[in-house]
Amino acid sequence: MAKTVTPDAISILLSNPSPDSSSNLPEIVVQVLDLKLTGNRYMFNASDGKLTVRGILPSNLSSEVISGNIQNKGLIRILDYTVNDIPTKSEKYLIVTKCEVVAPALEMEIKSEVKSEEVGIILKPKQENEMKSEVKREGAGILVKPKQEIVTKSAAQIVHEQRGNMAPSARLAMTRRVHPLVSLNPYQGNWTIKVSVTSKGNMRTYKNARGEGCVFNVELTDEDGTQIQATMFNEAARKFYDRFQLGKVYYISRGTLRVANKQFKTVQNDYEMNLNENSEVEEASNEETFIPETKFNFVQIDELGRYVNGSDLVDVIGVLQSVSPTMSIRRKSNNEMVPKRDITVADETKRTVVVSLWNDLATNLGQELLDVVDQSPVVAIKSLKVGDFQGISLSAVGRSTVLINPDIPESKKLKAWFDSEGKGTSMAPVGSGLSPSTKTGVRSMYSDRVTLSHITSDPSMGEEKPVYFSIRGFISLIKPDQTMWYRACKTCNKKVTDGMGSGYWCEGCQKNDDECSLRYIMVVRVSDESGEAWISVFNNEAEKMIGCSADELDKLKSQMEENSYQMKLKEVTWVPYLFRVSVTQHEYNNEKRQRITARDVAPVDFAAESKLLLEELTKKASQ
Amino acid sequence: MDTSNPAVFVNGALLRMYVGRRVRTVIQVIQSDSGGVTGKSTDDHQLVVKGSQPTIPLTNFVEVIGIADSDRSIRAEMWTNFGNTFDTNNYNQLCQLANGEYKHLFI
Repeated sequence: MAKTVTPDAISILLSNPSPDSSSNLPEIVVQVLDLKLTGNRYMFNASDGKLTVRGILPSNLSSEVISGNIQNKGLIRILDYTVNDIPTKSEKYLIVTKCEVVAPALEMEIKSEVKSEEVGIILKPKQENEMKSEVKREGAGILVKPKQEIVTKSAAQIVHEQRGNMAPSARLAMTRRVHPLVSLNPYQGNWTIKVSVTSKGNMRTYKNARGEGCVFNVELTDEDGTQIQATMFNEAARKFYDRFQLGKVYYISRGTLRVANKQFKTVQNDYEMNLNENSEVEEASNEETFIPETKFNFVQIDELGRYVNGSDLVDVIGVLQSVSPTMSIRRKSNNEMVPKRDITVADETKRTVVVSLWNDLATNLGQELLDVVDQSPVVAIKSLKVGDFQGISLSAVGRSTVLINPDIPESKKLKAWFDSEGKGTSMAPVGSGLSPSTKTGVRSMYSDRVTLSHITSDPSMGEEKPVYFSIRGFISLIKPDQTMWYRACKTCNKKVTDGMGSGYWCEGCQKNDDECSLRYIMVVRVSDESGEAWISVFNNEAEKMIGCSADELDKLKSQMEENSYQMKLKEVTWVPYLFRVSVTQHEYNNEKRQRITARDVAPVDFAAESKLLLEELTKKASQ
Repeated sequence: MDTSNPAVFVNGALLRMYVGRRVRTVIQVIQSDSGGVTGKSTDDHQLVVKGSQPTIPLTNFVEVIGIADSDRSIRAEMWTNFGNTFDTNNYNQLCQLANGEYKHLFI
């Protein structure tokens, strides 16, 4: 018998990982490479010239190595073995329980030449391990060419490449247990999900203190409609970028989860996923694919106020009222011309809003809308940015999707409303009468009403422009030992500094004054049913709540009985108030912090509040 | 808070459903005499409230808690002045919700 390895020996071993010891094993001869002592056993790489697999010689065979029977680069015939998985990696290892020596150390490592078509390995330019194919094999023998540049891959890699995009039905007896996306958490790593790629971002390169890299992310949706964002960096990004295709369905496992960074979140999920080179992404076969329904989270038109200039994208549904012709707008950033079309939609809140469509949505879809506008179709749009043009405006972004007369319950309800009463009623544009800087408290105390948690849960709110809301809450704490006021010029209220001699100097008025007034400037803690937040309050608002001027409070403070000052502050707490607040970003010690400032304060009008609550209740009931 | 004998929020129309039961309602006082207090319920029904009135004078709007005698009279055990302004619309909606889809939140 030729002293050589059995062709495809490794494949044979892998395809039968737990053979019966009684069954007749085929002839399996492998070359022992990289033989070394690890602990009290010998480890090696078993090679058949094409593939290798890590192998272990149990301790009872160590003597064979020590005596020189089993040698490095020698050949052994495997008589009994088991193939196991390495738990943390996608690799296998071979335990040789019984073997006999076929040949001592050969002159060199056996490497066979491979014709790529015969082996059926799919070559992809972005593959990590490149294999240069050579001329066809010659006969049953094996050519040994020391100058060969073929990289021997581990069996796992070859199997993986061959399997790459093939249907999982080829997997042996492995029933795939699919976990719903909603059940995933960072503490349980053993999951497989079945998801459709509903959005794919571009590959971006970045440079930071640690160097350069590339990254891209995808939005994944499972059959329940749950969504999660998955991000890949560097190696993993290159590996999976071409594999992930929009609209296709994949089985994914071995990803990691962590709490989502609210600043960059695009989908509704507390977690976001990261895939690395060890993660598994396998395309589902045709029978197993599904089309995820576009999941909408509609905001009624008269509720849009609270999202103005925010980072959240909203979904709306309404009856199409008008479609403008296509306009060409010059983009400021690069002077390019961009097509735009404005459409108006209305909903049961009897308000209308203008939605700006851009690029393809403006030209193609916009034309479709223009063709059917007379039929007053229902239009549902996902992922719109909320701006403040003319009060409240909506604008499409790259990921926006538009559905005409979608087959969803909200659409039917809207159509029914429109046909019965909506057609005839006069509607008002939602932005009318709304100006962000309205100081007249009354109307603005009831618009854009939110809870404190809505503000505190989004740390990047107000990054570009200040965002305005109204709130109902209680002051729960005024710290008595904070600096509560500043010295102000009696004429212009600006801060004064110590003047020449006695008195105070006002830079704005350019004059000295013996006296100054004290004006409130403080932070108070406000609480409502959703949580609490620290809010900056200035003189007018503070005076309304405390009930006396800063000068008077100062007098109380310096009185002998400490109590009257503390008492006065305590009395302010737990009284309900309506606040009009602005939310901005503010840098402090190189950190960006959210700052909430009270622009106006008003006592609660209980009858009006009750009416507001009753309206909210009826709205919820009809949803 | 003593929850052993809860009173149901009623208006004029709902009163008939709770005859013999403990109820509470807000009425606008129209007239007060020896026969009792005649008032207008928040849904514009005329109701008569009997029972010993409090010593202090009644304001325009009064809440009464007591046993429903008939579909338009109550034998009051407790009277509370609610002042001279009151949003009857809100209260009326409250009665409807408390006896309708949110009944389970009220005893």
